[in-house]
Amino acid sequence: MIAMKVSKNELTASLRKAFESLGFQPGDYYDAADMVVWLGTHGFDGFDRLLSVLNYLNTTSPSHADLIEEKEGNFVLDGNETSILLCGSEAVDLARSYAIQGSSARVEVINCYNRTFILQRLIKAAQRDLAFLAYWRQQDYCIKVTVSPRAKLPVYQTFMLNEQFDPQMLRIFSGTNVAQLEAEYAEHLQMGAMIDDYPMEMMKACYIDSLDQGIEIDVTLWNTLDDLVSRVLVQSTEESRAGAGD
Amino acid sequence: MKNDPHTTELYSDVAQLPLRPASKVMQLERLGSFHQSRLSFMRTLVRHMVTENWLISRVLFELDTEGYGTVIYEINAKYGTYSFVVFSHYLDPENRNDRVISNQWDLTMALCEGSVSEEQLEFLKVNVPKQEAGRVNSRVLVLSRANRSARTFNYVVNSLAHGHQPDTDIIAEVGYLYRTTAAYGSGKLGMADWEKVWTKHRDFARPFAAEMFTCYMLRHFSIQQAEYLALQASPQTGVPLNSDLKRYIGIGNSTGLGMAPFLINHPLLINQWIEMRETALATVVAFNAAGVDESTLKRLAESTGRVVQHLGEIVTADERQHKANAAVRKELDLLHLWLQEQGPKLANNHYVWSSLIQYAEQHWLVETQEVINTLLIELYPELVDGFEEQMWVEEIYEVTPEMMVVDLIALIEEKYDWALAIDFSLQESRGAFWYRSEEKMEPRLGKTHIDMGMEKAMPLGIGYRVRLCYDQLVGYNQSCPKQNVAHFIVKNPTFSGIVARVQTMALTYYGDIRENLIHQDVLPIHLLRCKLSFFGVSKFDPRSRLWVRNTMFQGAPLISDFDQPFKDEWQFPIKPVLHID
Repeated sequence: MIAMKVSKNELTASLRKAFESLGFQPGDYYDAADMVVWLGTHGFDGFDRLLSVLNYLNTTSPSHADLIEEKEGNFVLDGNETSILLCGSEAVDLARSYAIQGSSARVEVINCYNRTFILQRLIKAAQRDLAFLAYWRQQDYCIKVTVSPRAKLPVYQTFMLNEQFDPQMLRIFSGTNVAQLEAEYAEHLQMGAMIDDYPMEMMKACYIDSLDQGIEIDVTLWNTLDDLVSRVLVQSTEESRAGAGD
Repeated sequence: MKNDPHTTELYSDVAQLPLRPASKVMQLERLGSFHQSRLSFMRTLVRHMVTENWLISRVLFELDTEGYGTVIYEINAKYGTYSFVVFSHYLDPENRNDRVISNQWDLTMALCEGSVSEEQLEFLKVNVPKQEAGRVNSRVLVLSRANRSARTFNYVVNSLAHGHQPDTDIIAEVGYLYRTTAAYGSGKLGMADWEKVWTKHRDFARPFAAEMFTCYMLRHFSIQQAEYLALQASPQTGVPLNSDLKRYIGIGNSTGLGMAPFLINHPLLINQWIEMRETALATVVAFNAAGVDESTLKRLAESTGRVVQHLGEIVTADERQHKANAAVRKELDLLHLWLQEQGPKLANNHYVWSSLIQYAEQHWLVETQEVINTLLIELYPELVDGFEEQMWVEEIYEVTPEMMVVDLIALIEEKYDWALAIDFSLQESRGAFWYRSEEKMEPRLGKTHIDMGMEKAMPLGIGYRVRLCYDQLVGYNQSCPKQNVAHFIVKNPTFSGIVARVQTMALTYYGDIRENLIHQDVLPIHLLRCKLSFFGVSKFDPRSRLWVRNTMFQGAPLISDFDQPFKDEWQFPIKPVLHID
């Protein structure tokens, strides 16, 4: 890989335009860019994940999740094979719309991909004094994410699978505090032995380094983004130059 | 929000400050009539540089006899060391163009953190002259370029070389030796992110402080280069520029449409700037609620006279601006005479600023009103300067998913009544669209159904987007009553962006700019001028409805003034009467 350094601001701006070129709407491309940048600046290999997502999004029209079930704070969304970049915000918003009123909420998103990107949405939502738990299956492991109210970083742990479950599902729980969620949803949170715990110190160090030195990104990916960005640009003509003041 | 707009620590007796309403302030014509104030970024920067006595030294000055080469200044500010690097190049006059799409300039510059090593200088030499076509690194805070004024640069050099000072009238007509056409920061082209600047470089931890400093250093270099060339041309007769003339020389600036999308895409920041300016004005008005003293009235009379002279010295080919300047001068002249004649009597009668503001609103032009407001803010540095540290806010929009749809409908009716009042079925209401050109992504304005690129339009028609969202909400509420916003967005995901904006901006005091920016007759010049006023520029000279020339730092102290007693009174610069140095 040939790497280059980019700033957080220019990466965010480039991603927004790239997602816009893929048919994302204004709210979606803002959220999606934030999700990617968060992973990329906190040491989560966000850009490796992004390349595969871009290939997929480039061949499909953006689609969102459908709410297929709802009962007293329990929601089921069908992701329709789409990326969390497109339906993650809706899932988290549903959870917090219920949890903010004092009750706990559970949102299950089925048929969705790229679930690690949900981290940024959970952190952002937690700033409104809410706790979040989320988990999903990744190959033969289970990823569990815990975000305390107002926390700036998540607890990110990998567990052995205790039981087989839908490989394309994401479960999100939200409430007033983590302990309450752990207790209330204990039956859903039975996992095997923990095999990895990504320390918050490393996330923080990675973020500080990204800001100070720039974010390292594969030149190929950057060029791919540039190509996508060029799709939102309009061909220049003598007449169009007049539209800028000539 | 970070600040409660109704209270201020600076004047804690005032529980409820009489802030002007958003319906008045957020009209585009009024925003386009704003002038520099004490809170403008250049003013704040100069206050810090002078009072903290920043030490600026020339560590490299390698120019040939034509003035081409490399110059480095090292800056020891209060919290850190920085380097300002200038590359001076030959430019064929035929290629001198102020547009963003240019790719050659007389000067290219970079502001860097720390000292510059030989290795870094080589890196900068390769990349800085390329500007957008190059890449820099996170040690660079600002990248900029500038072109010589064809009217003044050689004239000033020749005058000095022949041993005499340039004609003040000619300097007044232009106001600068160089004109900058861009000052990029905030992480563009690999530079340091704003978040890094904000957290690591406290000297520039205010909006656009590093960019403004770069322009200030350009001004310093422009004068040094002119003096150097005069001496090169004629070592025997060459003289330095008179200090008063030096202070009167600023930096020219050309600003085009690129600034307009910034305002629309940073509504929280713009709200913050306006809120602080309005809070400053309200603080001044409230502070003098019992009456203004005679000496303050006299100071206002003096500064009003100064503005009359300043406006009279502006040369603009733009007929609308010329007429506006003349009309404002006439009204300010009336105020000036009235204050001179009635000052003592007004003080005895407990005259209050709210009466003046009210009179101006009832009888005078919007532009005159805003000059007066600026002058009132100017009178009370001890009340308003503290707001300079509250000019930044993070641009985060958030959906409030638990809000009921019916409440969001009511919110739009209350906060975006101006948008709902626009008839978007009329062709002219959607007669323009904004897009990015493939030429350096330059923002441009197109005519609907006439120009190419409508399908790639930028979503800057906030009023129209609110209207569409409102209609969708009303329909949804009829078919699915008693639902919250989270449910609305699941069903209507394409509206999530505008819902987040509406809900976020509803929490601010001033909210969005109240203008249909896709109307066929939209005047982006007002947007540009609004932002430029917060930068602190003067002498607006519109070249069309799409771009404007102006002057930066004209009248500001020189670096040699930094250790001298300082009165922060350089706004509305006027032609100097030369004193022998």
